[in-house]
Amino acid sequence: MDFRLTEEQVSLRESIIRFARSELSHDIRSFETNGSFPWDAWRKCAEMQIMALPFPERYGGCGADFLSTVHAMQALGYACRDAGLVHAIGTQILCGLQILLFGGEEIKDKYLPLICRGEKVFAQAITEPASGSDALSMATRAERQGESYVINGSKIFISNGPIADAVIVFAVTNSEKKALGGISCCIVEKGTPGFKQCKPFEKMGLTTLLNGELVFENCMIPLERMLGKEGQGGIIFSESMEWERTLLPAAHIGTMERVCETSVKYVKERSAFGKSIGSYQSVANKIADMKMNIELGKLIVWKAAMLKGQGKRASLESSVCKLFVSESLKKACLDAVQVHGGYGYMTEYEIERDLRDSIASTIYSGTTEMQQNIISRLMGL
Amino acid sequence: MSVNEMIKQFISSELIPEGSEVPLTDTDHLIDSGIIDSFGIMSLLGFLEEKFSVQISGDDLIPENFESIATISALILEKNGYQLEV
Ligand SMILES: Cc1cc2nc3c(=O)[nH]c(=O)nc-3n(C[C@H](O)[C@H](O)[C@H](O)COP(=O)(O)OP(=O)(O)OC[C@H]3O[C@@H](n4cnc5c(N)ncnc54)[C@H](O)[C@@H]3O)c2cc1C
Repeated sequence: MDFRLTEEQVSLRESIIRFARSELSHDIRSFETNGSFPWDAWRKCAEMQIMALPFPERYGGCGADFLSTVHAMQALGYACRDAGLVHAIGTQILCGLQILLFGGEEIKDKYLPLICRGEKVFAQAITEPASGSDALSMATRAERQGESYVINGSKIFISNGPIADAVIVFAVTNSEKKALGGISCCIVEKGTPGFKQCKPFEKMGLTTLLNGELVFENCMIPLERMLGKEGQGGIIFSESMEWERTLLPAAHIGTMERVCETSVKYVKERSAFGKSIGSYQSVANKIADMKMNIELGKLIVWKAAMLKGQGKRASLESSVCKLFVSESLKKACLDAVQVHGGYGYMTEYEIERDLRDSIASTIYSGTTEMQQNIISRLMGL
Repeated sequence: MSVNEMIKQFISSELIPEGSEVPLTDTDHLIDSGIIDSFGIMSLLGFLEEKFSVQISGDDLIPENFESIATISALILEKNGYQLEV
C-alpha cells in the first residue's frame, strides 16, 4: 500500500491550487447578497478542464483516473472558498459519470462533450416534495405513449436545477413493480414543453449553488432520452451514489484542510493571558481533532475512490466516507468559529460561511442517518 | 455447493429479516416480493462480486438479472462460467 500521490497527481493538485487562488477569488459575499451564479468562475473552471477530468478523450475529456479526479476535487475544495461553486462542479461531473456508465453511444456522444466543456449545465433530480430519504418511493411518473415518455410530477432542492440545460430525471415507469424495477432515468432538456424550472430557494449556506424545484406537466420526451434501460433507474441510483459519496466528500476534505490551516495560523497569533491561545490545551485539542479527521477522512475517500476507479463495488466504503467526512467537516467548521472567538462569528473572517456551507453536507447525497442505516444493513443488521 | 445454493443461502440469511420461513425456490420473485430492495441490491452485488470474482456493471445492472435466484445464477455463470461443487 502506497499512500503517496503520483507525480502527475501532485502536479494536478498544485496546478488546481494555483488556478483557484488566482482565478477564483470572486467576492462571494456579493453573490450571496444577490443570489446569482458565478458564471465567470464556472467558465474558468471549464477552461481549466476540471469538469472534463474523468471522461475519455474521445468525448473531450482528460482521461484521468477517478482517484486523480478525487485529488483534483480535494484541491479545489481547499483553494476555492466558494463551496457552492465547487458543489455545482461536482454535480456536473457526477451527471457525466451517470451518462458515461449507463448511456448508449448516442447519448454519450451528444452530452459528454457538453459536460466536459462546461458549455451546458447539468443536474440530477431524484428528491421530491414528499420523498427524500425514501427516494425510491417517488411519485413522478414517466408514462410511455407511442414513441415518447410523458412525465408528470415535481422534483425539489435540485442542485443546478434553476440554471440546468439538461436534467437527469428519475421517474416511475411501472407502478406495478417494486421501486427497484419500476423506476427509470431519462434526460430532459431545458425548454421542453411542460418542463418548468422554478426560481432558486434561499438557503442557509452554499448560496452560489442554485437549488430549485422542477415541475413536469405532460412533459413529452423521445424514447431515446432514456438513460440506461427501462426499469434500471433504481439500480442506477444506488450505483451513482457510490461515486457521489466519494467525490463530494473529497472536496470537503479540502475545505477542512483550509479551515484547519486558517485556524492554526490564528491560534498561534492570537494571545490571551500573556500566551498564544494555541498553547491552551482545550483550544489545541480542537485543532488536533481537525487534523485527525482530515487524515482519517483522506484514507477512506482515497480507498473508496481507488475501488471505484478499479471498477469495484464500494457501497460500504462510500457510505462510511460520506458519513465520516460530512460530520467531520461540520465539526471542524464549528470548532474553527469557536477558536476564532468573536471574529469567527463575523462575516469578514469568512469562517462563519464555511460553517453555514458545511451544514448541508450531512443532508444531501443521503443524510447521516441514512448512511448509518446503509452501513448497518450492509453489516447484516 | 452449487452457485444457486450459495446465492440462496446468502439471500435467506442476509436479505430476509429473521430468515426465511418458507424455503426460497429458484424462481421466486425477489424484487417484486421486496426481498431485494435498494439496500438489498447493494448487499447482494457486494456478495456476488466478492464470492464469484466478477464485476457487475453497466448493462448487467438491470433488474431482470436479479429477479430470481435462477436469473442471478445465470448472470454469474455467463460472466465467468463459475461452478463450485463441494
Ligand atoms: C444543498 C442541497 C443540495 C441538494 N441537491 C440535490 C440534488 O441535486 N438532487 C436531488 O435529487 N436532491 C438534492 N437534495 C435533496 C437531498 O438529497 C434530500 O434533502 C435528502 O435526501 C433528505 O431528504 P428530505 O429533505 O426529504 O428529508 P427526510 O427524508 O424527510 O428526512 C428528515 C429527517 O428524518 C431522517 N430520516 C428519514 N428516514 C429515516 C430513517 N429511515 N431512519 C433514520 N432517520 C431517517 C433524516 O435523516 C432526516 O434527519 C439536496 C439537498 C440539499 C440540502
